Amino acid sequence: MHKDGNAIAGVLEEIFTVEVTAETRTCQSCGQENAIGAHRLFTGAGYVLRCPNCSDVAATIATVPGDYRVTLFGAWSVQPPQ
Amino acid sequence: MERLAGTEARLSWRVATITESKPESPHAKTLVLDVPGWPGQRAGQHVDIRLTAEDGYQSERSYSIASAPETPALELTIDRVEDGEVSPYLTEEARPGDQFELRGPVGGYFVWEATSDQPLLLVAGGSGLVPLMAILRQHELVGSGAGTRLLLSARTLEDVLYRQELEALRDRAEAVTVHLTLTRDTPPPEWSGWARRVDRAMLEAVGPGPDARPRVYVCGPTPFVEEAAGLLVEIGYDPRSVHTERFGG
Repeated sequence: MHKDGNAIAGVLEEIFTVEVTAETRTCQSCGQENAIGAHRLFTGAGYVLRCPNCSDVAATIATVPGDYRVTLFGAWSVQPPQ
Repeated sequence: MERLAGTEARLSWRVATITESKPESPHAKTLVLDVPGWPGQRAGQHVDIRLTAEDGYQSERSYSIASAPETPALELTIDRVEDGEVSPYLTEEARPGDQFELRGPVGGYFVWEATSDQPLLLVAGGSGLVPLMAILRQHELVGSGAGTRLLLSARTLEDVLYRQELEALRDRAEAVTVHLTLTRDTPPPEWSGWARRVDRAMLEAVGPGPDARPRVYVCGPTPFVEEAAGLLVEIGYDPRSVHTERFGG
Protein backbone atom coordinates (compact mmCIF):
# COMPACT_ATOMS: atom_id res chain seq x y z
CA MET A 1 0.00 0.00 0.00
CA HIS A 2 1.39 3.39 -0.91
CA LYS A 3 2.96 5.85 1.51
CA ASP A 4 4.25 9.43 1.00
CA GLY A 5 7.50 10.76 -0.39
CA ASN A 6 8.16 11.88 3.16
CA ALA A 7 8.72 8.22 4.10
CA ILE A 8 11.94 8.04 2.03
CA ALA A 9 13.28 11.39 3.22
CA GLY A 10 16.41 9.55 4.38
CA VAL A 11 17.01 7.87 1.01
CA LEU A 12 16.38 11.15 -0.84
CA GLU A 13 18.79 12.94 1.47
CA GLU A 14 21.43 10.31 0.69
CA ILE A 15 20.90 10.90 -3.04
CA PHE A 16 20.65 14.70 -3.06
CA THR A 17 22.89 15.26 -0.01
CA VAL A 18 20.26 17.70 1.30
CA GLU A 19 16.76 17.35 2.69
CA VAL A 20 14.36 17.72 -0.27
CA THR A 21 10.92 16.55 0.89
CA ALA A 22 9.85 20.13 1.68
CA GLU A 23 10.99 21.24 -1.81
CA THR A 24 8.64 21.02 -4.76
CA ARG A 25 8.32 19.31 -8.10
CA THR A 26 6.22 20.47 -11.05
CA CYS A 27 4.66 17.56 -12.89
CA GLN A 28 5.52 17.05 -16.56
CA SER A 29 2.02 15.71 -17.19
CA CYS A 30 -0.49 17.81 -15.27
CA GLY A 31 1.67 20.85 -14.51
CA GLN A 32 0.75 20.89 -10.83
CA GLU A 33 3.43 21.80 -8.30
CA ASN A 34 3.54 19.71 -5.13
CA ALA A 35 5.94 19.14 -2.27
CA ILE A 36 8.12 16.11 -2.89
CA GLY A 37 7.09 14.79 0.53
CA ALA A 38 3.45 14.91 -0.63
CA HIS A 39 4.07 12.65 -3.62
CA ARG A 40 2.81 9.07 -3.49
CA LEU A 41 5.42 6.47 -2.73
CA PHE A 42 5.25 2.90 -3.97
CA THR A 43 7.85 0.44 -2.75
CA GLY A 44 9.01 -2.86 -4.17
CA ALA A 45 12.51 -3.76 -5.33
CA GLY A 46 13.11 0.00 -5.21
CA TYR A 47 10.95 3.09 -4.99
CA VAL A 48 8.58 4.83 -7.39
CA LEU A 49 7.29 8.32 -6.62
CA ARG A 50 4.13 9.48 -8.37
CA CYS A 51 2.41 12.84 -8.74
CA PRO A 52 -0.30 13.17 -6.05
CA ASN A 53 -2.58 14.87 -8.57
CA CYS A 54 -2.31 12.80 -11.77
CA SER A 55 -0.25 9.77 -10.65
CA ASP A 56 2.31 10.11 -13.44
CA VAL A 57 5.80 8.96 -12.51
CA ALA A 58 7.98 11.50 -10.69
CA ALA A 59 10.98 9.32 -9.91
CA THR A 60 12.19 5.76 -10.04
CA ILE A 61 14.87 4.74 -7.58
CA ALA A 62 16.38 1.29 -7.94
CA THR A 63 18.50 0.01 -5.09
CA VAL A 64 21.62 -1.87 -6.13
CA PRO A 65 24.27 -2.97 -3.64
CA GLY A 66 25.97 0.16 -2.34
CA ASP A 67 24.25 2.42 -4.84
CA TYR A 68 21.02 3.88 -6.19
CA ARG A 69 19.95 4.20 -9.86
CA VAL A 70 17.75 7.26 -10.07
CA THR A 71 15.58 8.64 -12.89
CA LEU A 72 13.70 11.87 -12.30
CA PHE A 73 10.73 13.24 -14.26
CA GLY A 74 9.27 16.75 -14.24
CA ALA A 75 10.91 19.85 -12.82
CA TRP A 76 12.45 19.34 -9.37
CA SER A 77 13.18 22.57 -7.49
CA VAL A 78 15.95 21.55 -5.13
CA GLN A 79 18.18 23.99 -3.28
CA PRO A 80 21.89 23.23 -3.60
CA PRO A 81 23.63 22.22 -0.38
CA GLN A 82 24.69 25.17 1.76
CA MET B 1 34.04 16.87 -1.04
CA GLU B 2 33.68 19.06 1.99
CA ARG B 3 29.93 19.30 1.66
CA LEU B 4 29.64 15.56 1.11
CA ALA B 5 31.66 14.94 4.22
CA GLY B 6 29.46 17.36 6.14
CA THR B 7 26.28 15.74 4.90
CA GLU B 8 27.51 12.27 5.65
CA ALA B 9 28.28 13.37 9.16
CA ARG B 10 24.71 14.63 9.54
CA LEU B 11 22.96 11.64 8.04
CA SER B 12 25.40 8.97 9.14
CA TRP B 13 24.24 5.87 10.96
CA ARG B 14 24.71 6.30 14.69
CA VAL B 15 24.52 3.78 17.49
CA ALA B 16 21.45 4.21 19.69
CA THR B 17 21.32 2.66 23.16
CA ILE B 18 17.97 1.93 24.79
CA THR B 19 17.84 3.50 28.25
CA GLU B 20 14.19 2.73 28.98
CA SER B 21 11.32 0.79 27.44
CA LYS B 22 7.81 1.92 28.46
CA PRO B 23 4.58 0.16 27.47
CA GLU B 24 2.02 2.55 25.94
CA SER B 25 -0.66 0.03 24.89
CA PRO B 26 -0.88 -3.77 24.66
CA HIS B 27 1.15 -3.63 21.44
CA ALA B 28 3.12 -0.38 21.52
CA LYS B 29 6.19 0.67 23.46
CA THR B 30 8.12 3.89 23.83
CA LEU B 31 11.88 3.45 23.62
CA VAL B 32 13.93 6.14 25.32
CA LEU B 33 17.27 6.35 23.53
CA ASP B 34 20.72 7.66 24.14
CA VAL B 35 22.22 8.68 20.78
CA PRO B 36 25.67 10.28 21.10
CA GLY B 37 26.06 13.16 18.65
CA TRP B 38 22.31 13.47 18.00
CA PRO B 39 21.90 16.83 16.18
CA GLY B 40 18.37 17.59 17.45
CA GLN B 41 15.10 17.39 15.55
CA ARG B 42 11.96 19.26 14.56
CA ALA B 43 8.52 18.13 15.68
CA GLY B 44 7.07 15.71 13.13
CA GLN B 45 10.35 14.28 11.86
CA HIS B 46 11.27 10.60 11.86
CA VAL B 47 14.33 8.36 12.01
CA ASP B 48 15.44 5.38 9.98
CA ILE B 49 16.38 2.31 12.03
CA ARG B 50 18.62 -0.46 10.71
CA LEU B 51 18.85 -3.88 12.28
CA THR B 52 21.55 -6.31 11.19
CA ALA B 53 21.18 -10.05 11.78
CA GLU B 54 24.12 -12.28 12.63
CA ASP B 55 24.26 -13.49 9.01
CA GLY B 56 24.52 -9.89 7.79
CA TYR B 57 20.90 -9.56 6.64
CA GLN B 58 19.74 -5.99 7.15
CA SER B 59 16.31 -4.54 7.62
CA GLU B 60 15.45 -0.83 7.62
CA ARG B 61 12.31 0.88 8.86
CA SER B 62 11.22 4.44 9.62
CA TYR B 63 9.76 5.46 12.97
CA SER B 64 8.33 8.79 14.04
CA ILE B 65 9.90 10.70 16.89
CA ALA B 66 7.50 11.08 19.83
CA SER B 67 9.50 13.43 22.04
CA ALA B 68 9.54 17.19 21.72
CA PRO B 69 12.74 18.79 20.39
CA GLU B 70 13.14 20.47 23.79
CA THR B 71 13.35 17.12 25.61
CA PRO B 72 16.95 15.92 25.96
CA ALA B 73 16.31 12.21 25.36
CA LEU B 74 15.09 10.94 22.01
CA GLU B 75 11.89 8.90 22.30
CA LEU B 76 10.28 6.68 19.67
CA THR B 77 6.93 4.98 20.09
CA ILE B 78 6.78 1.75 18.15
CA ASP B 79 3.62 -0.15 17.34
CA ARG B 80 4.09 -3.87 16.81
CA VAL B 81 3.23 -4.97 13.29
CA GLU B 82 2.30 -8.65 13.18
CA ASP B 83 4.81 -10.51 10.96
CA GLY B 84 6.98 -7.39 10.91
CA GLU B 85 10.76 -7.72 10.64
CA VAL B 86 11.71 -4.89 12.96
CA SER B 87 8.84 -3.85 15.25
CA PRO B 88 8.39 -7.23 17.04
CA TYR B 89 12.05 -7.10 18.06
CA LEU B 90 11.84 -3.46 19.20
CA THR B 91 8.61 -3.93 21.15
CA GLU B 92 9.09 -7.40 22.63
CA GLU B 93 12.75 -8.33 22.78
CA ALA B 94 14.77 -5.13 23.02
CA ARG B 95 15.83 -4.27 26.56
CA PRO B 96 17.58 -1.31 28.18
CA GLY B 97 21.24 -1.48 27.24
CA ASP B 98 20.52 -3.00 23.81
CA GLN B 99 21.83 -1.12 20.80
CA PHE B 100 20.86 -0.64 17.18
CA GLU B 101 21.73 1.68 14.30
CA LEU B 102 19.72 4.82 13.68
CA ARG B 103 20.02 7.80 11.35
CA GLY B 104 18.22 11.09 11.24
CA PRO B 105 16.34 13.16 11.88
CA VAL B 106 14.86 13.00 8.39
CA GLY B 107 11.97 14.71 6.65
CA GLY B 108 11.22 18.41 6.23
CA TYR B 109 7.67 18.15 4.92
CA PHE B 110 5.64 16.79 7.82
CA VAL B 111 7.07 19.21 10.40
CA TRP B 112 5.71 21.98 12.57
CA GLU B 113 7.33 25.34 13.24
CA ALA B 114 6.76 26.16 16.89
CA THR B 115 7.03 29.89 16.18
CA SER B 116 3.89 29.77 14.01
CA ASP B 117 0.57 31.05 15.39
CA GLN B 118 -1.39 29.45 12.56
CA PRO B 119 -4.19 27.24 14.00
CA LEU B 120 -3.51 23.52 13.96
CA LEU B 121 -5.78 20.63 13.12
CA LEU B 122 -4.22 17.26 13.94
CA VAL B 123 -5.94 14.07 12.78
CA ALA B 124 -4.48 10.73 13.85
CA GLY B 125 -5.39 7.12 13.22
CA GLY B 126 -3.92 4.72 15.80
CA SER B 127 -0.16 5.07 16.10
CA GLY B 128 -0.37 7.97 13.63
CA LEU B 129 -0.59 9.94 16.86
CA VAL B 130 3.18 9.59 17.44
CA PRO B 131 4.52 12.48 15.30
CA LEU B 132 1.51 14.59 16.26
CA MET B 133 2.35 13.98 19.92
CA ALA B 134 5.78 15.50 19.25
CA ILE B 135 3.95 18.59 17.96
CA LEU B 136 1.56 18.67 20.97
CA ARG B 137 4.43 18.24 23.41
CA GLN B 138 6.42 21.02 21.81
CA HIS B 139 3.29 23.18 21.65
CA GLU B 140 2.99 22.87 25.43
CA LEU B 141 6.69 23.22 26.24
CA VAL B 142 7.07 26.46 24.28
CA GLY B 143 3.70 27.79 25.46
CA SER B 144 2.43 28.16 21.91
CA GLY B 145 -0.77 30.14 21.49
CA ALA B 146 -1.69 28.39 18.24
CA GLY B 147 -5.24 27.08 18.69
CA THR B 148 -4.94 23.32 18.30
CA ARG B 149 -7.54 20.60 17.79
CA LEU B 150 -6.65 16.92 17.92
CA LEU B 151 -8.92 14.20 16.59
CA LEU B 152 -7.67 10.70 17.42
CA SER B 153 -9.28 7.58 16.06
CA ALA B 154 -8.36 4.37 17.89
CA ARG B 155 -9.78 0.87 17.81
CA THR B 156 -10.33 0.57 21.56
CA LEU B 157 -9.71 2.71 24.62
CA GLU B 158 -6.67 0.65 25.58
CA ASP B 159 -5.19 1.27 22.12
CA VAL B 160 -5.09 5.02 22.81
CA LEU B 161 -1.44 6.00 23.14
CA TYR B 162 -0.39 8.49 25.83
CA ARG B 163 -3.91 8.36 27.25
CA GLN B 164 -3.17 9.96 30.61
CA GLU B 165 -1.05 12.63 29.01
CA LEU B 166 -3.82 13.46 26.53
CA GLU B 167 -6.36 13.69 29.35
CA ALA B 168 -4.06 15.99 31.30
CA LEU B 169 -3.48 18.06 28.19
CA ARG B 170 -7.21 18.38 27.66
CA ASP B 171 -7.70 19.63 31.22
CA ARG B 172 -4.70 21.91 31.34
CA ALA B 173 -3.96 23.50 28.00
CA GLU B 174 -6.44 26.18 27.01
CA ALA B 175 -5.30 26.34 23.42
CA VAL B 176 -5.70 22.57 22.89
CA THR B 177 -8.84 20.50 22.47
CA VAL B 178 -8.70 16.70 22.34
CA HIS B 179 -11.35 14.59 20.63
CA LEU B 180 -11.41 10.79 20.62
CA THR B 181 -13.35 8.29 18.62
CA LEU B 182 -13.32 4.52 19.16
CA THR B 183 -14.01 2.32 16.17
CA ARG B 184 -14.08 -1.25 17.52
CA ASP B 185 -15.18 -1.09 21.10
CA THR B 186 -18.44 -0.59 22.81
CA PRO B 187 -17.30 2.48 24.73
CA PRO B 188 -17.56 2.62 28.53
CA PRO B 189 -20.85 4.05 29.89
CA GLU B 190 -19.31 7.39 30.86
CA TRP B 191 -17.68 7.76 27.42
CA SER B 192 -18.05 11.30 26.11
CA GLY B 193 -16.24 10.80 22.81
CA TRP B 194 -17.45 9.33 19.53
CA ALA B 195 -17.77 5.65 18.69
CA ARG B 196 -17.56 5.44 14.92
CA ARG B 197 -15.09 5.88 12.12
CA VAL B 198 -13.99 9.39 11.20
CA ASP B 199 -16.58 10.99 8.93
CA ARG B 200 -17.40 14.41 7.55
CA ALA B 201 -19.73 15.43 10.40
CA MET B 202 -17.03 14.54 12.94
CA LEU B 203 -14.36 16.59 11.18
CA GLU B 204 -16.76 19.52 10.90
CA ALA B 205 -17.53 19.26 14.63
CA VAL B 206 -13.81 19.23 15.53
CA GLY B 207 -12.99 22.27 13.37
CA PRO B 208 -11.60 24.87 13.01
CA GLY B 209 -13.27 25.28 9.66
CA PRO B 210 -11.52 26.04 6.38
CA ASP B 211 -12.08 29.78 6.93
CA ALA B 212 -9.67 29.69 9.89
CA ARG B 213 -7.03 28.45 7.43
CA PRO B 214 -5.46 25.94 9.81
CA ARG B 215 -2.36 23.95 9.06
CA VAL B 216 -3.54 20.35 8.96
CA TYR B 217 -1.58 17.18 9.74
CA VAL B 218 -3.07 13.76 9.07
CA CYS B 219 -1.15 10.63 10.03
CA GLY B 220 -2.02 6.95 10.24
CA PRO B 221 -2.51 3.83 8.16
CA THR B 222 -2.88 4.59 4.43
CA PRO B 223 -6.64 3.84 4.18
CA PHE B 224 -7.32 6.08 7.19
CA VAL B 225 -5.27 8.96 5.76
CA GLU B 226 -6.84 8.58 2.32
CA GLU B 227 -10.32 8.79 3.82
CA ALA B 228 -9.62 11.65 6.25
CA ALA B 229 -7.62 13.76 3.80
CA GLY B 230 -10.29 13.24 1.12
CA LEU B 231 -13.01 14.41 3.52
CA LEU B 232 -10.99 17.45 4.58
CA VAL B 233 -10.57 18.58 0.97
CA GLU B 234 -14.28 17.90 0.37
CA ILE B 235 -15.13 20.14 3.35
CA GLY B 236 -13.09 22.89 1.75
CA TYR B 237 -9.63 22.86 3.33
CA ASP B 238 -6.88 23.94 0.97
CA PRO B 239 -5.22 20.69 -0.23
CA ARG B 240 -1.81 22.37 0.12
CA SER B 241 -2.45 22.94 3.82
CA VAL B 242 -3.24 19.26 4.41
CA HIS B 243 0.00 17.46 5.25
CA THR B 244 -0.21 13.70 5.21
CA GLU B 245 1.94 10.86 6.47
CA ARG B 246 0.78 7.38 5.51
CA PHE B 247 2.18 4.40 7.38
CA GLY B 248 1.16 1.90 4.72
CA GLY B 249 -1.24 -1.03 5.13
